[in-house]
Amino acid sequence: MHVYRYDQIDQTLVNERVAQFRDQTRRFLAGELSEDEFRPLRLRNGLYIQRFAPMLRVSIPYGLLSTRQLRMLAHIARSYDRGYGHFTTRQNIQYNWPQLERVPDILADLASVEMHAIQTSGNCIRNITADHLAGVAPDEIADPRPYCEIIRQWAALHPEFSYLPRKFKIAVTASPADRAAVEIHDVGVRLKRGPNAEIGFEILAGGGLGRTPIIGKVIRPYLPQTDLLAYLEAILRVYNRHGRRDNIHKARIKILLRALGAEEFTRQVEHEFEANREFAPRLEAHEVARMAGFFAPPPYQQFDDLAAVAVGIAAGEPAYEAWLRYNTRRHKMHGYRVVFVSLKKHGEAPGDMTAAQMDALAQLADRVSFGMVRATHDQNLVLADVPQAVLPEVWRELDALGLATANIGTLTDMICCPGLDFCSLANAGSIDVAKQIHARFDDMDYLYDLGPIEIKMSGCMNACGHHHIGHIGILGVDKHGKEWYQITIGGSSAAPAALGEVIGPSVPKDQVSETIAQLLEVYVRERHGDDERFVDAVRRIGIEPFQERVYETHHLPA
Amino acid sequence: MRRIICRRELVTDDARYAGEPPGPDTREVQPLAQFIAVLGAGQMPGPGAAIMIAPADELEALAAHLALVSLIVVDFPKIGEGRGYSHARMLRQRYRYAGELRARGALKRDQLFFLARCGFDSFDLDPAEDLQAALAAFNDFSVAYQDGSDAVVAVRRRAAAS
Repeated sequence: MHVYRYDQIDQTLVNERVAQFRDQTRRFLAGELSEDEFRPLRLRNGLYIQRFAPMLRVSIPYGLLSTRQLRMLAHIARSYDRGYGHFTTRQNIQYNWPQLERVPDILADLASVEMHAIQTSGNCIRNITADHLAGVAPDEIADPRPYCEIIRQWAALHPEFSYLPRKFKIAVTASPADRAAVEIHDVGVRLKRGPNAEIGFEILAGGGLGRTPIIGKVIRPYLPQTDLLAYLEAILRVYNRHGRRDNIHKARIKILLRALGAEEFTRQVEHEFEANREFAPRLEAHEVARMAGFFAPPPYQQFDDLAAVAVGIAAGEPAYEAWLRYNTRRHKMHGYRVVFVSLKKHGEAPGDMTAAQMDALAQLADRVSFGMVRATHDQNLVLADVPQAVLPEVWRELDALGLATANIGTLTDMICCPGLDFCSLANAGSIDVAKQIHARFDDMDYLYDLGPIEIKMSGCMNACGHHHIGHIGILGVDKHGKEWYQITIGGSSAAPAALGEVIGPSVPKDQVSETIAQLLEVYVRERHGDDERFVDAVRRIGIEPFQERVYETHHLPA
Repeated sequence: MRRIICRRELVTDDARYAGEPPGPDTREVQPLAQFIAVLGAGQMPGPGAAIMIAPADELEALAAHLALVSLIVVDFPKIGEGRGYSHARMLRQRYRYAGELRARGALKRDQLFFLARCGFDSFDLDPAEDLQAALAAFNDFSVAYQDGSDAVVAVRRRAAAS
């Protein structure tokens, strides 16, 4: 197994958390805890009370799952829910229909496979997210996962930082391409080589989406490895003491950083870091080495039979060719490919997966990818270590499961929150808009001609669907009880991150896909060669040509 | 009589807050600002002062006078208030305060474990809380990933013992 394995301490902690939550649930049901008292307790264990039923969010640390764990997620979907789960933009999974009374049993089942729901919600440090290609990407400077696990453990049930002003999200990347969107996190950690090639970190703070989208600032250009946790403690302590608690919409660290200014915020963090040195945790090299042992590369085969490798990438039928081109990526090892499992099939809610699909994928991963699966922040899954020779077979199996839609990176590989269908915060539906877009753009050749386009959609300004950083962002708004959608263009999560610009007044629900078609029409007309992506074109020509096209036929409200 | 948890036992509270009638064997708890003002006016408080820290208080002004203090009450006025956890850690670690450190306010048994790990040793919980039952919450966890003031748990070590 190439995943972190619990020892006695880890297992005891998770078991004791299950027992604690069981008792908290019992007290709530017995009337010993009021709804107000129970709320912060259940939230920090991933349990929301939703529009129709509770929603339970289960942590998938940095998106990494063993097939044993994936089978348990399938079992939970089948036994406690309606047979499916929803993968989220934080590489977690949510169940939309569990019964409150049975949640402690779900947690006990999760604990039996070294999983939990600790800190998947609430005003605390949330799941640590990372590059979904960690360990296999050709462009990374080192595997970030050992650091992710170290941060996960440090953050779990932290006694000082469990009642923060607001939620706190940390992302880690080791690649210049930044597939973890670290610039839009409360804290971003970028692995970086020091003067003697030793591993250290660049630290960013104050990024975030939501109502006030802000790109994070670099507050420490280089931090030695030993100081990683001490520096995080300093940031968290400054935030815990001085972050606003009087207004939920101004409570994130980005607001504190903006109010103080990056320079003053950094000064306070550095001061706290120095003043607390004696008491702060030090991260020693042997602990990093111990952690790195869990993520050692799987026993890759040396492929000397180049013919066998070639079979996998040889010309086949067009559908396979398209899948190969769009749904697989280069692997750092010769003879292997990274395979994306698309959860963006037409007609399905983006990120949803049935129990049967999970079980079948687990079986496939056991056979062809060392028994490991990853969740991406784009709401797809990944088989990270697939021998090229078996790619045709993998494609056929995924295709039979409805998991081979060859649309990764294209317009229909949308990020989408659960929206009004499930979420009590949402102003508008997301899932049916995603279906509308799928229906409108069902011509795959047209999608391929358009090249990479990221659509990201949120049902409200809390921005769970990351609409601000979509090449095309769609935000659901409520106008007098009707669902309308505000469109932004030009955003990006990849380094350097950028926030999209609003093109104009929001459009009614039935006009969303038509509006996107108009934006694409302008793009196709203005595009400089096949290589200029939509987002690059927007950056070059600005939003005006797009505005003109979209609003020429609309009556603009005064 | 108000009951509190002190060093894991139920005791009768001897603290007296603003607006409460004076009684025998009670000690008056004064706000931090008042305590600092008295010192600033050149008056020397009697030994064993009891002071109250509000969430937004800065501790730096208190640091030099901790020898005069025998009880610090940290206020948690609302559910979810979390600044007091940092106050406690800083008092115990940076300022080496060794006297009684009490958490008071909108607190349930569910916070006891974290509070104790941050250095609190007495607890004036929500009046509706069943204190006898609450005592068990100190043992909610027998392990932790962080160092803490509470020595009964097994802590994951990241650094070699020095």
